[in-house]
Amino acid sequence: MTAAALPPGILGQRRIRRMGRGRKSLYIGIAIMLVMLVCAFFPEFVAPYDPLAFDYNAIMHPPSLAHPFGTDNFGRDVLSRVIWATRIDMQIAIFCTLFPLFFGTLVGAIVGYRSGWLEAVFGRLVDLTITFPFLVIVIAIVAVLGPGLLNMYIAVSAVGWVFYAQLMRADVQVQRQSEYVAAAKVLGYGEARIIFRHLLPNAITPIIVYWMTDMALDILLGSSLGYLGLGAQPPTAEWGVIIADGKNFMSTAWWISVFPGIAIVLAGVGFSLVGDGIADIFRRRR
Amino acid sequence: MTALAQTAVASEVQPLLAVRDLRVVFGQGERALTAVDGIDFEVAPGEVLGIAGESGSGKSVTLRAILRLVHPPGHVSGRVLWRGRDLLTIPEAELRRVRGGQIGVIFQEPMTALNPVLTVGMQIRENLREHTTLDAAGRKARAIELLDHVGIPAAKSRIEDYPHQFSGGMRQRAMIAIALASSPKLLLADEPTTALDVTIQDQILKLILRLRRELAMSVVLVTHDLGVIAQTCDRLAVMYAGQVVETGPVTEIFRRPRHAYTLGLLNSVPRAGVMRQPLASIPGQPPLLSNLPQGCAFAPRCRFVIDACRQARPPLVAVETAHKSACIRHETVAAA
Amino acid sequence: MSLNYLVIRLAQILPTFFLIMVIVFVLVHLLPGDPTSALLGIRATDEAVNRINEQLGLNRPIPVQFLFFLRNFFQGDLGDSIVLKVSVTSLIISRLPVTLFLTAFAAILAVLLAVPMAMLAALRRDSAVDGAIRTGFQIGLSMPVFYIGIVLLTFFAARLRWFPVGGFGTTFGEDLYHLFLPALTLAFSLSAVLMRNLRNGIIEVLNAEYVDFARAKGLRNRLVLGRHVLRNALIATVALFGLNIGTLLGGAVITESVFAIPGVGRLMIDSIYGRDYPVIQGLTLTLAILVSLVFLVTDLVQAFLDPRIARR
Repeated sequence: MTAAALPPGILGQRRIRRMGRGRKSLYIGIAIMLVMLVCAFFPEFVAPYDPLAFDYNAIMHPPSLAHPFGTDNFGRDVLSRVIWATRIDMQIAIFCTLFPLFFGTLVGAIVGYRSGWLEAVFGRLVDLTITFPFLVIVIAIVAVLGPGLLNMYIAVSAVGWVFYAQLMRADVQVQRQSEYVAAAKVLGYGEARIIFRHLLPNAITPIIVYWMTDMALDILLGSSLGYLGLGAQPPTAEWGVIIADGKNFMSTAWWISVFPGIAIVLAGVGFSLVGDGIADIFRRRR
Repeated sequence: MTALAQTAVASEVQPLLAVRDLRVVFGQGERALTAVDGIDFEVAPGEVLGIAGESGSGKSVTLRAILRLVHPPGHVSGRVLWRGRDLLTIPEAELRRVRGGQIGVIFQEPMTALNPVLTVGMQIRENLREHTTLDAAGRKARAIELLDHVGIPAAKSRIEDYPHQFSGGMRQRAMIAIALASSPKLLLADEPTTALDVTIQDQILKLILRLRRELAMSVVLVTHDLGVIAQTCDRLAVMYAGQVVETGPVTEIFRRPRHAYTLGLLNSVPRAGVMRQPLASIPGQPPLLSNLPQGCAFAPRCRFVIDACRQARPPLVAVETAHKSACIRHETVAAA
Repeated sequence: MSLNYLVIRLAQILPTFFLIMVIVFVLVHLLPGDPTSALLGIRATDEAVNRINEQLGLNRPIPVQFLFFLRNFFQGDLGDSIVLKVSVTSLIISRLPVTLFLTAFAAILAVLLAVPMAMLAALRRDSAVDGAIRTGFQIGLSMPVFYIGIVLLTFFAARLRWFPVGGFGTTFGEDLYHLFLPALTLAFSLSAVLMRNLRNGIIEVLNAEYVDFARAKGLRNRLVLGRHVLRNALIATVALFGLNIGTLLGGAVITESVFAIPGVGRLMIDSIYGRDYPVIQGLTLTLAILVSLVFLVTDLVQAFLDPRIARR
């Protein structure tokens, strides 16, 4: 191949390098996340009213300057409720994913590194878990344990780790063949050291990207369970719970349910953008 | 040179295909890449024209440009005269009739050129459907006939097979059958034998020549392998850095090249029966297509270079009958 | 695709089914929460609990219970609903078709939405149209199913009165009418996932050499796109479709709640509130088996589309 060889793929492919555009969405994502985190950590400073305060003079007022998101059937300010609920939903995102992230990554790394019967059993388990409706399993477990946030975290964690493990396993299996692993083995490094110091850091980026989308999905799941009354329990303000509160008034006071929904979408979009952005950076580094 | 080609040249018969000032540029402005830099060549009826050059010389892009198969951001300009009509400007509907019906194309790697999820028979029948008036039964029969004709045994059962079920050489034959299904008058072959091993290579080349005779068609054969050129081509166009630097009859060029680059190319082919000589190669690298020099593109690496070479790009001029060269120093080169 | 392949794949499903049975059984019987005490509430004297347990066979050792469970399953007996006092099997049989109808309808709508949009977006890659399509679907993907449901319900049913507010019809036509909004709700997220994947697939295939070769044969653009591009691009998306049917069924549970549809989804939720363990168990089992079957069908469809698979 000479230096004048046409850039690879030019005979048929388009070269799209939209550097600026990708960067912009990442920044938007980070901005959204920052807003959410501020609302989650300091709702007292951001929310204009006390979310629990009833105001019988302002029942079901449509959005106005005084109440940008309107008020609900108890006169509570919807904006404040939505802001306070951010804390709960962010918690849901974190707590539903922490255990799966660590446990799943660990198991995936180990199973991916060794082969044999462990892998066969694991493979079956993965097939089952991935195809079975996640929501149904979680609901089933919550059914047995009883409704509530803690039980929801347990239910989601019990099943969610499989996805991380599968991702990690696939990556490790590929890396296992590579030369630097062979070199490490020749140098006599122990298995644990190879897994932790060498394989893990290389495989970590796709895991982080998946973690972002998983958090977005868990917010959807958590709010769904909240809506059904199986997750966060009223009077805890959680976006799904607020929506459920407002569903009977949809025709008369649509703002009670619509705004928390927008918050959910915003959170999901934020996580996705950040995840995509990280994936993009990672792809360019390669 | 075949008798047919000789006659064509002698009586100046209208060429089947005439490419004039073809230019293919990728991208725009500062970072534009000129893959094909204003080339001219012709193909007479019934002749086999070889286009030789190393990777990156623009030969493959040239073939695609002829049938308007260059993807954006590539931009094609110039004229491609096929039977008097400029292929680059005719309307889409007419171009579709030319493609496949009058001009056929085969690519280098049949595994990527053939659709993996369609049977070979279907891919042939598609061609027939578009360009012939055969009915379904007729198409099926003709497809079997074609496969048989290109030398695939048990054609009748192979019709319903998928590309991955054929071996390398057979796949290439199948691709040829698909491309030639409607008996085009010109075949554009982009490195048809590069991906094959030497024995199969020979068979495929012989097949192409046989088909050329039977269908009375011309062939443009793009390759980097001078051996293939020697074996099959009547005339040759040598390309370097997107430009045609020499054209002429194969035997003449091989015997006495008139361009420094061609000389270098021919010298670098190892000769059989010679004792222990170091391999000769051309020193240096071809220029970046985004930064072509002002004068002759080969000047930086040429051992015959003089100042005049660097100043302006030497035009392609006739140095003998039917033999053109773009080298100011062609006399000196001929003497070497 | 050979009969051989079909048989092999069917056989491979069986261990999966067995594993499902074990897991469902374990889930209900070994986790905390004694159903009988919960059922009897304050009347849960020791002897009352014992009596019920004896009746339900809950006093036997676990492996024996499991064998009973298996035996009953193959006899079509999934126990009786504690709350509704009818056999679980009959409940499921009456409700399941509704859910299946809803899910199938949603799947079809999702495909009808996704395919043309994906093609449009891929052909006009990086244009305003492409951006609009991708953003639109991304937002749809980020919305929870129940949210889409109540928005659609409020707007099209309550406000505009174009569609009925939930429930189910008696004739096929009525069913389509009643289930359109719920099916559309369900279809949104699936179509977003499919669209994204198919768009990328089409873009990749558009650059393949066999597309150029097809064009070089002089084929019309529509033919090239339909037969050469779409068919190849769909292969990967079909796999994704199969993997997401599970999500669709999960979404059905919520959608049925929002639109008050008498399917197994609502049955599930109601059973959870009512601690109706036999129903929960039976439903989970049925759903698991169903999903495995869908997975199998997807594999077979894939093998049909792509002759490179299943060649033994």
